[in-house]
Amino acid sequence: MRSLLDKLYLASGYLSGFCIVLITLIITAQIVGRLFGFIVPSAEDFSGYALAASTFFGLAYTFRQGGHIRVTLVIQHWTRGSRYIQELMVLIFGLLLVGFMSFYAVHMVWESYIFEEVSSGYVSVPIWMPQVPVALGILMLNIAILDDVIAMLRRHTPSYKAHEGEIHLEEI
Amino acid sequence: MDMAVIAISLAVFMLLMLALGVWVSLALFGVGVMGLFLSGNEQIGLLFATSTWGSSTSWSLTALPLFIWMGEILFRTRLSEDLFKGLSPWLSGLPGKLLHVNVLSCGIFAAVSGSSAATAATIGRMTLPELKAQGYSDKMAVGTLAGSGTLGLLIPPSIILIVYGVAAEVSIGRLFIAGALPGLLLVTLFMGYTVCWALLNKDELPKHDKSHVSFAAKVKALRLLLPILGLIGFVLGSIYGGLTTPTEAAALGVVGALFLAGVTGSLNKSSFVESLTGAVKSSCMIGMILAGAHFLTLAMGFLGIPRALAEWIGHMSLSPGVLLIYLTFLFVALGCFLDGISVVVLTVAVVLPMVQQAGIDLLWFGIYIVLVVEMSQITPPVGFNLFVIQSLTGKDILYVARAALPFFLLILFAVVLIYLFPEIVTYLPTSMSQR
Repeated sequence: MRSLLDKLYLASGYLSGFCIVLITLIITAQIVGRLFGFIVPSAEDFSGYALAASTFFGLAYTFRQGGHIRVTLVIQHWTRGSRYIQELMVLIFGLLLVGFMSFYAVHMVWESYIFEEVSSGYVSVPIWMPQVPVALGILMLNIAILDDVIAMLRRHTPSYKAHEGEIHLEEI
Repeated sequence: MDMAVIAISLAVFMLLMLALGVWVSLALFGVGVMGLFLSGNEQIGLLFATSTWGSSTSWSLTALPLFIWMGEILFRTRLSEDLFKGLSPWLSGLPGKLLHVNVLSCGIFAAVSGSSAATAATIGRMTLPELKAQGYSDKMAVGTLAGSGTLGLLIPPSIILIVYGVAAEVSIGRLFIAGALPGLLLVTLFMGYTVCWALLNKDELPKHDKSHVSFAAKVKALRLLLPILGLIGFVLGSIYGGLTTPTEAAALGVVGALFLAGVTGSLNKSSFVESLTGAVKSSCMIGMILAGAHFLTLAMGFLGIPRALAEWIGHMSLSPGVLLIYLTFLFVALGCFLDGISVVVLTVAVVLPMVQQAGIDLLWFGIYIVLVVEMSQITPPVGFNLFVIQSLTGKDILYVARAALPFFLLILFAVVLIYLFPEIVTYLPTSMSQR
């Protein structure tokens, strides 16, 4: 179970990275195309879809790696006991909110599918297709948060805290 | 319920969640949900889905992961070493000598990197040990680095300008063009200050300098700068020349950075994967915050809070100058415990209508807000540049903050200058063509 979950989170990160590479390729192809006189159809739409896929696929991985920023200024000097209650509260709040979000993300995909919505660009794509990664990504984030709620209840350190002391380049 | 009561309870809810350590992106979504709930809206979930889908597929936002990835690739090359070796022979004539390498190499690296922490980390790990070995004042070495690291935010490409442009619906290309002159202004201010400081504190500089550098050696050193200058010309040149959109320039930048890394031999499978997962972490974090901010802006719109605030400011008939003084205090205070991106997205949700009401140009305001965020990067207790330099040097954060204080004041001075002479910001965007 543990190794399966860890593979899921790693897959989340790799899928997200793959989408960034995809964006680069689509846009580079568009530039090269302009030089040689061919057009990459709906390049703007497709790179937008890849962007959404990249953001949402990466949620679970980023969460486990402590990449989502938060303010630790107030809580960092609390005692162990109050920190435990605070982390548990924050995680349960996150679980409820992300649960709500994943329900409606899946709902969105379902509605686009039922009403056969298509994109309005040059190439019309059934819109549910690029929406699937968004729903999947939020669901994976849900699993990652639940994973840490369980870890907390078993008195383990939640995953993201292991990385929180690190300095990330991404902190702007 | 009375709007003032709703607004205040939402603000309290937001501060409470942030203080308790809820992730910034989730806090934004949470307050958005609560705001819509209080406004009696029954379609909260549907609004969430459409707003999030719409905001996370935006074309101009695709520049964001690409510029971040580009920075991550360059961070793993020998670029900082080359910058140091290429610049130092040229600066040995100026009072303050190698201290200027800090300022200039940060300024140059900022033109290929979008973040101040990446700039400070890339440059600092090369220059700080070298400056220390040659006997320069520690405090000044740390101060120049902390101050000029913030140039990463202002000199295009800039992650925070992309975030502002997307959130405030201002052209990112124009913002990038507008950031150039204020960036050069800051470089000039920093170098001018370093010269004055060096003339006044001769005893804190190395006693005997190296022998005179021959002109041939200088030209030879310049060769080391060619790759990065070429990359800057390639990326920024294509934006400024109106040849490409910022997103396309970002894709070119990634290709160029991969090429540079490949040529210098620092590209292999593990560095490629590391740079990519590093980019995933930051762009995913920022993308989610932007989606949350978009949803919150929507909720605020339903409640009519920004409009009410704008009307209120209109009734008070504050002059733009006074409003900006208040806002500067607000941003610096927010920046004391929030990062720059969160400050920008929170502000855009509430403050922009008020700013427009006061007749302030949104393009100018973007540059102004970045300068103020730069100041907050080097003020304790939360300033990411301080964290980076703390981890590079092992000095405690208050020491770094004290060393950076003159640079904080210089940035404040630059804010005053762009207020008095708005042309510093608006001249280039109005005179250059931009498609």
